[in-house]
Order: sequence, then C-alpha cells, then structure tokens
Amino acid sequence: MFRIHCPHCSEARSEEEFSYAGEAHIPRPAAPSSMSDAEWGEYLHTRTNHRGQHREMWVHTAGCRRYFNVLRDTVSYEIVAVYLMGEMPPEREEAP
Amino acid sequence: MSERPGVVCRECPGRAYLNLRGDAADPQLRNAVQQVVGVDLPREPGTWNHADRSRAYWLGPDEWFIAVEGDDGLVVERRLRDVLDGRFAVVDVTGAQVQLALSGLDAGKVLQKSSPYDFHPRNFPPGRCAQTVFAKAAALVAASEGGAFDIVFRRSYADYLRRWLADAAAEYG
Repeated sequence: MFRIHCPHCSEARSEEEFSYAGEAHIPRPAAPSSMSDAEWGEYLHTRTNHRGQHREMWVHTAGCRRYFNVLRDTVSYEIVAVYLMGEMPPEREEAP
Repeated sequence: MSERPGVVCRECPGRAYLNLRGDAADPQLRNAVQQVVGVDLPREPGTWNHADRSRAYWLGPDEWFIAVEGDDGLVVERRLRDVLDGRFAVVDVTGAQVQLALSGLDAGKVLQKSSPYDFHPRNFPPGRCAQTVFAKAAALVAASEGGAFDIVFRRSYADYLRRWLADAAAEYG
C-alpha cells in the first residue's frame, strides 16, 4: 500500500481511496470505422507493460473523483511525478 | 456510562442537500450561491464555509456540496436555477444523504479508527473537510469547532454505519 498525492485535493491520500485507470497517453484513433479488427484490437488491448517509470492514469474514487496522471516506477513502486490531465508528461529515466 | 460522554452521535434531520458544479473562477456562480443560500463557495481544496443556516463544502475543483437547514431541496434548486447562468449543474440530493454530528472528547479517535485519512487536528483543524473511505464506505467528513465532526454519507449505508459507529465508540462511552 502506498500514498498518492492528489493534485486536485492537494494532499497525499491513502491508495485505498484511488483506482488505477490504465496506461496514459494512448490516443484514440481518429477514424475507428476505417480500421481493421487487428488494428482496433491493438488499440484496445495492447499495452507497453513498461519496466521502470510508467505513465499511468489514476482516479481519486473516494475523494474528489477526478482523473490525473502518475509517473510510477513499476520496479520500485516509487511515484516519481504526478501531473494533471492534458499536461505534458515529465521526462522519464529508462530502466537499464 | 460515565458522567462525561466520550462520544455523542446524533442525526441532523431537516436539511436540504444539493450538489453543485460550475466554474470556480466565475464570479457570477459565486454571487448566485451567495444570493440564494447566503454562503461563500470555498475555493481552497478540502475546506468548507458556514453562514447562518447554510454550509458549502469543497468536493472538487468545480464541485461543491451544499447543506441548507430547514429548507426544501427542490425549492433551493429552483431558486439557484433561476439566478444561475452559463455552464453549471445543480441537483437536489436531499433524499440520498444522511448527516450525523459526532462530538465529545473522543470523537476524533472514532474517526481515526474508521478511515485511512489523517483526522488528527494538526492535519484536520476546524474548517477542513475531506471525502474519504469511512468504514469501507464513502463519506464526506467535516471538522467543526470544539472537536466535533459532521459526517455525510449515502442513506443506504445508514444502518451499517450507525452500527459501525456504535461499536467503534463503545469503548469511549
């Protein structure tokens, strides 16, 4: 269990209040109707499964109910940065 | 039970509850709320304001919970709709909410047992409010003067939380 700083509530809260909402920065295809099933399946299901600093979305379910982005290390679980929806992701260090 | 009760819990009936959403930076929204319910919308995260019969709690950057004593929620909603303009949402949620007032010397300890949130007065002085996990249910908790707290939660949890609070407070009398 860890604590996450909610950028809307401006304080660190228990992980229990949050829900994980998947990998961040996956653009929705501009023309879904002209895509093949394979391409659509790729968009829906295939994720990077990144080792190291991973950009992901969280929602403060039991608090302000807002979404935001987190840069979290999938090896150490360390939360490196928290940033708002629509903000540019911070640079990440690549795992060796 | 000892002479000085550790925890006192009572229901706060007869209040109207509304959920309001809108642009926090819009002076028109703030003026409309001031005019109809007579309270300033808090802009600081996790705070609440109190004026006469009305209370306004910060829920999110564009969302507030409003409680008005002795008024009908639908009537307040209609009055707000009459004066509000632009992009907003106001919903009467009176029927879905129960509010409890928790007071007494050990009220804070009961909260600390029930939630992962830090309810110590150092972190949660009067004027603060927080939506959090409370006994595994969702609740809005607000700190009042004199170590008292208001807890607002869904009506469907009322029986469960009443029993939880009775059990959690039993050791303090």
